[in-house]
Amino acid sequence: MSMSDIPIIQRVVAILWPSFIVAGIATVLFTTAFDPANISIFADYGISRLGSYTICFFLFWLFGAVTSTATCYFLKPCDAVNKRKSSGDSGSVKE
Amino acid sequence: MVESSQVVAKAVANKSDEEVEQSLYAKRQKIYVREVHGLFARLRAMGVLGLLGLFYIIPWLNLDGHQAVLFDLPARKFYILNMVFWPQDFFYLALLLIVSALTLFFVTALAGRVWCGYACPQTVWTEAFLWIERKVEGSRQQQMKLDKGANSFRKIRIKATKHFLWAAFALFTGLTFVGYFSPMRELAVNFLSFNTGPWETFWIYFYGFATYGNAGWLREQVCLYMCPYARFQSAMFDKDTMIISFDESRGLPKGPRKKSVDKVAAGLGDCIDCTICVQVCPTGIDIRNGLQYQCIGCAACIDACDDVMDKMGYDRGLIRYTTEHSLMGKHTHILRPRVIVYALILFGITVSAFYSILTRTPIAMDVIRDRNSLYRETNEGLIENVYIIKLLNMDKQDHSYTLTAAGIPDLILKKDTDKIVVKSGEVVELPVRVQVDAYDLKQRSSEISFTLTAIGNDDLSVVEEARFLGPAY
Ligand code: SF4
Ligand code: SF4
Repeated sequence: MSMSDIPIIQRVVAILWPSFIVAGIATVLFTTAFDPANISIFADYGISRLGSYTICFFLFWLFGAVTSTATCYFLKPCDAVNKRKSSGDSGSVKE
Repeated sequence: MVESSQVVAKAVANKSDEEVEQSLYAKRQKIYVREVHGLFARLRAMGVLGLLGLFYIIPWLNLDGHQAVLFDLPARKFYILNMVFWPQDFFYLALLLIVSALTLFFVTALAGRVWCGYACPQTVWTEAFLWIERKVEGSRQQQMKLDKGANSFRKIRIKATKHFLWAAFALFTGLTFVGYFSPMRELAVNFLSFNTGPWETFWIYFYGFATYGNAGWLREQVCLYMCPYARFQSAMFDKDTMIISFDESRGLPKGPRKKSVDKVAAGLGDCIDCTICVQVCPTGIDIRNGLQYQCIGCAACIDACDDVMDKMGYDRGLIRYTTEHSLMGKHTHILRPRVIVYALILFGITVSAFYSILTRTPIAMDVIRDRNSLYRETNEGLIENVYIIKLLNMDKQDHSYTLTAAGIPDLILKKDTDKIVVKSGEVVELPVRVQVDAYDLKQRSSEISFTLTAIGNDDLSVVEEARFLGPAY
């Protein structure tokens, strides 16, 4: 089974969705443990609590999405990497 | 999985290519869901109306001068009926979440995916969006015809109306959602006068957009690709779990026939192969191919097929709620080890969760050691540590407290005041000094404990441990 058998929507979802859920949980845990009003980067810029939660959430989401993207990228079967190289690289010797 | 995707492919194979929707996601054939009437459709409509009603009404209800359910994020307080939860109460909220998850497992073991079919927000909002679509675009046939037809003024007008209604409904949903986190009445007034704060505005549109996308466009794909529950629910299934199933022994061999034809003589089963059950299925599968993970248990196919059976003069229930055991002609056990174990765990955790919530002590005390110095020697030659005591009164009344410390013989607690007054919902920070004779210190770091007790109510008391640092022995 190669990656291209999986619908694009499923691949997009595999990146955005788990990271979304994890970001939600991480935001709840983080902001429960630390009040953003006491965190100087937020306090210094006068960002309200609601704003700090939002920023935390999207940062966590971004981190999670980057991780998921890397995971998906490395999941590509080795053969698929070879194939792309031989077809995309015009200078390479072909059998 | 491969088999079931072929099933979907087969079910939609007779649609033409124009129906293959090219959208931001993969080529997906749009599933035109046929409207269905019957017992389960009515139950589902009731579920949808009830849950949507609750969702939209709850933020407007007030109790004791505050919103009855408000997760006041800006103030870091959660109001649930007459209880107030603080970040310090996180444990209780986690417990409640665990109870909800276990309830879901229990219901799944017993009754299969009733959650998906009747109560899941994805189902509920999709049903609402389908309803709007049907009101604007008409029946399944009319929708298909409209989509196939060339762009005309009429088509654009109908599509624009649908999307406008969807967007308005989604926006209202987003507003209501934010109303759970920011007082609803104020929010609504601000929203109408375009005065909501930037973050609130952002979340209203973000949630509104998510509703529009999930219920209007993604629909069954959320269940297929995004829902973790859909993937693991089968682990809770056994042969006695209630499922929706096509009765093969009765239905096969399938085939069209006239009502007047004697099916026995014609060698046919009860299924007339009208594919109505496939047309009503919101996930586009053919239930006649057996239990599939795409089936959300909505029972639309039951209603549809019962209708066909009535028209043919056959018995209802060719597709029905049943269990694998009963399909095999065996007895169904409702009380079985799995169910009993789930029930016991659920009962135990629910009782302890509610007990601990009802008996929780509404004070939170944090003891923070002064970070600037490890310890200090006083003029009298005693070893002194400085602490900041942070108190939060989570009760609805104001209280006065006394603070004591213990753990090292002849420990002296020095504080500015004997009676600490903390108003309801307020935080007080109190610096205190603890002094001991170096002679009594057995090690570099000893454990001491602070006890806070409400004056006039000894039950209202908390103990917090701290470390006392001294010179090396
Ligand atoms: S609705 Fe009933 S009779 Fe029609 S195809 Fe489905 S199972 Fe067969
Ligand atoms: S197979 Fe039947 S119960 Fe399952 S999702 Fe389709 S219509 Fe609903």
